[in-house]
Amino acid sequence: MIKLSKVEKTYEDAVVLKNCSMVMDRGEFAFITGPSGAGKSTLLKLLYCSEQVDNGHISVDEWILNKLKKRTVPYFRRNIGVVFQDFKLLFNKSVFENVALTLRIHRMGAKEIMERVKSILKEVKLLHKSDIFPQYLSGGEQQRVVIARAMVSQPMLLLADEPTGNLDSDNARTIMRLFREINTKGTTVLIATHNEDLYYGSGRRVFFLNNNRIDKEIVG
Amino acid sequence: MNTLRYYFGTAFKSIWMEKWINLLTILSICIGLSILCSFLLITFNIDSFMKRWTGNFGLVVYLDDNITYEETLNLETQFNKDRDILRVDYTSNVEAMDEIRISLGENAVIMDDFKENPLPSIFELQLVGELLNQKAARQKAESIKNISGVSDVQYGEKWLASLNTISDTMKMVAVFFATAIFISTIFTTYNTIKIFFYRRKEEIITLKLLGATNGFARLPFLIEGLFVGMVGGTLSSALVFTFSSLTSTRIVEFMPSLSVVLSPLPVQVYLIIPVIGASMSLLGSLIAVGKIRY
Ligand SMILES: Nc1ncnc2c1ncn2[C@@H]1O[C@H](COP(=O)(O)OP(=O)(O)OP(=O)(O)O)[C@@H](O)[C@H]1O
Ligand SMILES: [Mg+2]
Repeated sequence: MIKLSKVEKTYEDAVVLKNCSMVMDRGEFAFITGPSGAGKSTLLKLLYCSEQVDNGHISVDEWILNKLKKRTVPYFRRNIGVVFQDFKLLFNKSVFENVALTLRIHRMGAKEIMERVKSILKEVKLLHKSDIFPQYLSGGEQQRVVIARAMVSQPMLLLADEPTGNLDSDNARTIMRLFREINTKGTTVLIATHNEDLYYGSGRRVFFLNNNRIDKEIVG
Repeated sequence: MNTLRYYFGTAFKSIWMEKWINLLTILSICIGLSILCSFLLITFNIDSFMKRWTGNFGLVVYLDDNITYEETLNLETQFNKDRDILRVDYTSNVEAMDEIRISLGENAVIMDDFKENPLPSIFELQLVGELLNQKAARQKAESIKNISGVSDVQYGEKWLASLNTISDTMKMVAVFFATAIFISTIFTTYNTIKIFFYRRKEEIITLKLLGATNGFARLPFLIEGLFVGMVGGTLSSALVFTFSSLTSTRIVEFMPSLSVVLSPLPVQVYLIIPVIGASMSLLGSLIAVGKIRY
């Protein structure tokens, strides 16, 4: 599903990734961890085409991202759900509309949007806040809206950047259960996190990003 | 269908959220187009006034002194047949002399000094409207001058020239004016939409990260620009229409004789103005959203 081969990524003059390779299978559920500033977010950004590699091969499913035309990027992105580290919620839209936006971009019908959004908001326990605007939500609630938005379209790949950063352990467990559920329905899941509790004892693969590359891989 | 509703929903929400800027934009578009409309109205009126006025204008054809009666009759039938000529008036040299005598009154005795009548007989020809310009009138005059029995043809050369200059200048000013106002409409909307676009930059970036195409992100802005231009244009149409019908009734009340002269703009103009406003604004918004890429 995901393949990075000798990827190089530099911001201005700061090298973030160099000779970085990793492979993830379809339907897999994995973690990526490493110290702050190691480049976890950058690696995810490369995977959803928010950043371009300077060198090397990177592909998701059949899409070769280092060769992707600008025009096709939107269509590629519709296959991916992203939980952004900085949320990227729209503050002039209600919780419902924020989540529905993904489906509107997919040009889904009103009735189906209604059903899907309600059902996912129920899962993240925010159905009662559907009509509230994001600025009136707590950090954890905002994070759950982002997670709902990323999952509502049942993407083929879910990328989550520090998805439990603002959550108490109870809510974190709920979210991790949701991720496992969507994974059993066929979505490949990759989670970037510092939180060891998330991966220890999970039995999943954990990639360690250090010194500009994946330098260790364990089973948590 | 649902997507369409989203586009319009987003556009009108933004129109409402940014109502003051939008109102200002609508007003400036409206003022620009109204000035243009008023100018058109004035130009149109002056033009139709001149048309009526120059309707009386004609050629004076001087005949040879020794022309016979038959030849004169021939000329008259020839002029009457000519499609370029609206009216033919004949004044014989005798009639002309009598007219002068009458106008001289008691001093008419001085005319007795002439053994022969020094005046030529003349035809006054009134040309059709299309020939009321310098070039066509001269050509017509030249061709008549070549007919035998005609000694000279005069037409109000300088007069026609200055009339033409006035009407040409007015047309040029109108074109210049229209261009300036079109550009200012484009620019006004361009500015407004660009401000909105920058204000909602984060939103557009997010939309695109969620897989939206450029079109999806931009269309609401285009709808907004289109709407603003259309409202501005409609408003200015209504304004100029009301103003022109009010003033013309007022003027006619004071000077009923002017009622023939004052002509309202053709209805099409009032329908075209909103279309112009809308399309210029759309163009402005297109330029505004087309330049920014994320
Ligand atoms: N847009 C950018 N321009 C320049 N430098 C950047 C940019 N984005 C990230 N960086 C730099 O690249 C490095 C990696 O950043 P990144 O966000 O990928 O780290 P991270 O592993 O996600 O860290 P964290 O765990 O704190 O989220 C950092 O040193 C950061 O300063
Ligand atoms: Mg990060």
